[in-house]
Amino acid sequence: MSYVNGLFARRLSGAQCAGGMLLAVAAVVFAGDASAEEWGTIKGRFKFGGTAPTAAELKADKDVEVCGKHKLVNEELAVGADGGVANVVVFVRDKDVKVHPDLVATKSEKAVVDNASCRFEPHVLMVQTGQPLVLKNSDSVGHNSNIATLKNPPSNSLIPSGGETTVTFTSEEAIPAQLTCNIHPWMKAWLVVRPNPYGAVSKADGTFEIKNVPAGDIELQIWHEKAGYVGEMTIKGKAEKIAKGRKKIKVAGGDNDLGEMVLDANLFKK
Amino acid sequence: MKSQSQIVSRTLVRLHSSWAVAACGVTLLMCVSGCGSTPAAWFRPNMVEATKQRLTPDQERQVSTVMLAMFGTPDAPVAPPETGLDEAKLQLAAGPVHSDIVGRKNGLYREHCAHCHGVTGDGLGPTAAFLNPYPRDYRPGVFKFKSTERSDKPTHEDLVRILHNGIPGTSMPSFALLSPPKVEALVEYVKYLSIRGETEIALMRAFFELDDEAQGKLPETREFLVDEVLTPVTEKWKSAADALIAVPEMASDLDLAASIAKGKELFYGDKANCVKCHGPTALGDGQANDYDDWNKAIVEVSKEVKSGLERAGETSTSGMDSEALAEHRGQLAWLDKFGRVLDGGDALRPRTIQPRNLRHGIYRGGRRPLDLYYRIHAGINGAPMPAAKGTVPPEEIWHIVNYVKSLPYELDGELGADRPMVAKDRF
Ligand code: HEC
Ligand code: HEC
Repeated sequence: MSYVNGLFARRLSGAQCAGGMLLAVAAVVFAGDASAEEWGTIKGRFKFGGTAPTAAELKADKDVEVCGKHKLVNEELAVGADGGVANVVVFVRDKDVKVHPDLVATKSEKAVVDNASCRFEPHVLMVQTGQPLVLKNSDSVGHNSNIATLKNPPSNSLIPSGGETTVTFTSEEAIPAQLTCNIHPWMKAWLVVRPNPYGAVSKADGTFEIKNVPAGDIELQIWHEKAGYVGEMTIKGKAEKIAKGRKKIKVAGGDNDLGEMVLDANLFKK
Repeated sequence: MKSQSQIVSRTLVRLHSSWAVAACGVTLLMCVSGCGSTPAAWFRPNMVEATKQRLTPDQERQVSTVMLAMFGTPDAPVAPPETGLDEAKLQLAAGPVHSDIVGRKNGLYREHCAHCHGVTGDGLGPTAAFLNPYPRDYRPGVFKFKSTERSDKPTHEDLVRILHNGIPGTSMPSFALLSPPKVEALVEYVKYLSIRGETEIALMRAFFELDDEAQGKLPETREFLVDEVLTPVTEKWKSAADALIAVPEMASDLDLAASIAKGKELFYGDKANCVKCHGPTALGDGQANDYDDWNKAIVEVSKEVKSGLERAGETSTSGMDSEALAEHRGQLAWLDKFGRVLDGGDALRPRTIQPRNLRHGIYRGGRRPLDLYYRIHAGINGAPMPAAKGTVPPEEIWHIVNYVKSLPYELDGELGADRPMVAKDRF
């Protein structure tokens, strides 16, 4: 009961302060570890456990002349022919990780979401705080981009055909933010806002790769739009519970292959 | 007369007592039940958010304790100094309706607002379910009709104006007859309820981000509660005055007929795209199956609960080991609780939002051309209407304003391509 009590008492428990300082000192010592100069690549592959449902087709009921021409499918769960699960998000949860010199510049590179063929491309995008995110529209009809961030101010801009607008985020988001178009309600995408470049979205074959992560102990977090933070998976044949999708690993220099991670079909039944 | 409980709790607060706050709450409750005065009003916890975040009863209690310490009760509100709120004004607006000085009445919020907006400002007052649109739930801190950029808070003057004018076309009445000090007190109280509600939501969401070592306990340090949770909320309120939408004057030599014609082209064209929602006739019959943010939140959780229950019904428990069985039961208990929260008065039945019928000439956020400029520039926060800012330059926004203003009087009989206008459309 420190601050809550202290709100009235206006005093802070000294003991806790000291405890905090000790921790801080420990952290500094730890960060000074010699392994900081080593960098590793984390990779793996998400596989669907069970028979994958076929993605339902969507029917465009607005701007039918344009959107009706495209084959639109429900993209919430995309499983490839070989069982790979696409659009699974993996990121390094630790906030103060050291960023590899080669990756520093990625923060100023543009991240792009295109309104193309009456859907968002890509469906899931990692974007860093401070990184310019360009929302553009390659379609011949107008769209709007409604970003439902929780920590950052939400926004909703009109994007005419051929137009674009740029937004940047100042804080990271604990949960990926949904991007929708109110004019075409079937259009949905997700933005994963992180403070550093250490994250990836699995490709169509279920593989992902996060390069140049500083060697040492880190915590990964795994999310999928249907499954939420993935609570369990079978990794290298062994069932594992990972509360809130958090998995601690030790990164070594070079390749760190997590292998095949099977996500059970039940996780996606939401 | 002030109720005993108010005096007790206020004294406790003023004394800066170092007691455990929970104990203070208990004392308060005991006194109220023992004193036989007006029953104590309480702030209803945000059960939709608590359940969504899967908080345990202990975690719900942690949040309630912090909320009580930081914000007090509806009868004895307090506000941490970081909020910048004026407690004297809050006292005038708070509490049951009563008068202790001849000619001065306290309890303004419960007299004028609570039956719609709820004692907690959750939009769940006793009349709320019968109104369309529903009264505003202040707790997410989202306001629609204001002079600031889309995601910014309303200014003090914006809220005063809302109270003065009411919201035409809705049940929200005008309070123009209240004296300025009373309006000031009410505006302060709306901010208080809003800051309180946002803080509660932030606390409930914070559990998710805790590290495992925290073992489900929120840190009760000043750094966390004030710097991390409260300050981001209060900063937005403090910076509202700096977030005013810059509005260039409409050109004074503007040819109105030409401006309306340009506005019309923009309205139905691809750049401004108003037609997509407001419809080819501007009767508000375009995109009509969308929800505003408050209703959408309920729609989404209702879906999750429904599909969860269906799935649980299909799941066979035979062959489950004890761990899996416990998890299954936990999930069922959660779904059951959520069902009860949604049906039991913590949420209203979701309703779609209709884009405005612009032939009526009734504007909720005010009918001055300036008000319409704000609405079009920033869109309507919390509602699907997007911002034209950045896409449509200011002079073109003025053209659209002029066209919108002309819509109720556009009597040439042609309502776009669809059909001729009939008198009924205008009422
Ligand atoms: C008869 C019901 C009713 C009463 C009484 C009432 N309101 Fe409202 N109020 C509403 C409704 C309905 C809305 C939402 C209108 C909308 O969404 O378009 C609203 C919206 C608001 C808003 C939000 C404005 C915005 O820009 O988003 C504020 C602030 C507000 N009311 C304050 C008050 C205060 C303060 C009182 C008491 C002095 C009060 N209201 C009394 C029904 C009511
Ligand atoms: C994505 C759908 C959408 C688009 C596009 C859209 N609107 Fe709206 N508009 C709405 C909705 C929904 C409301 C009702 C909001 C509410 O009641 O909170 C609304 C309300 C309004 C209002 C009423 C404001 C008031 O004070 O009552 C005006 C005026 C308006 N829109 C004009 C426009 C103009 C002009 C454009 C084009 C620049 C436009 N809208 C584009 C959905 C849209």
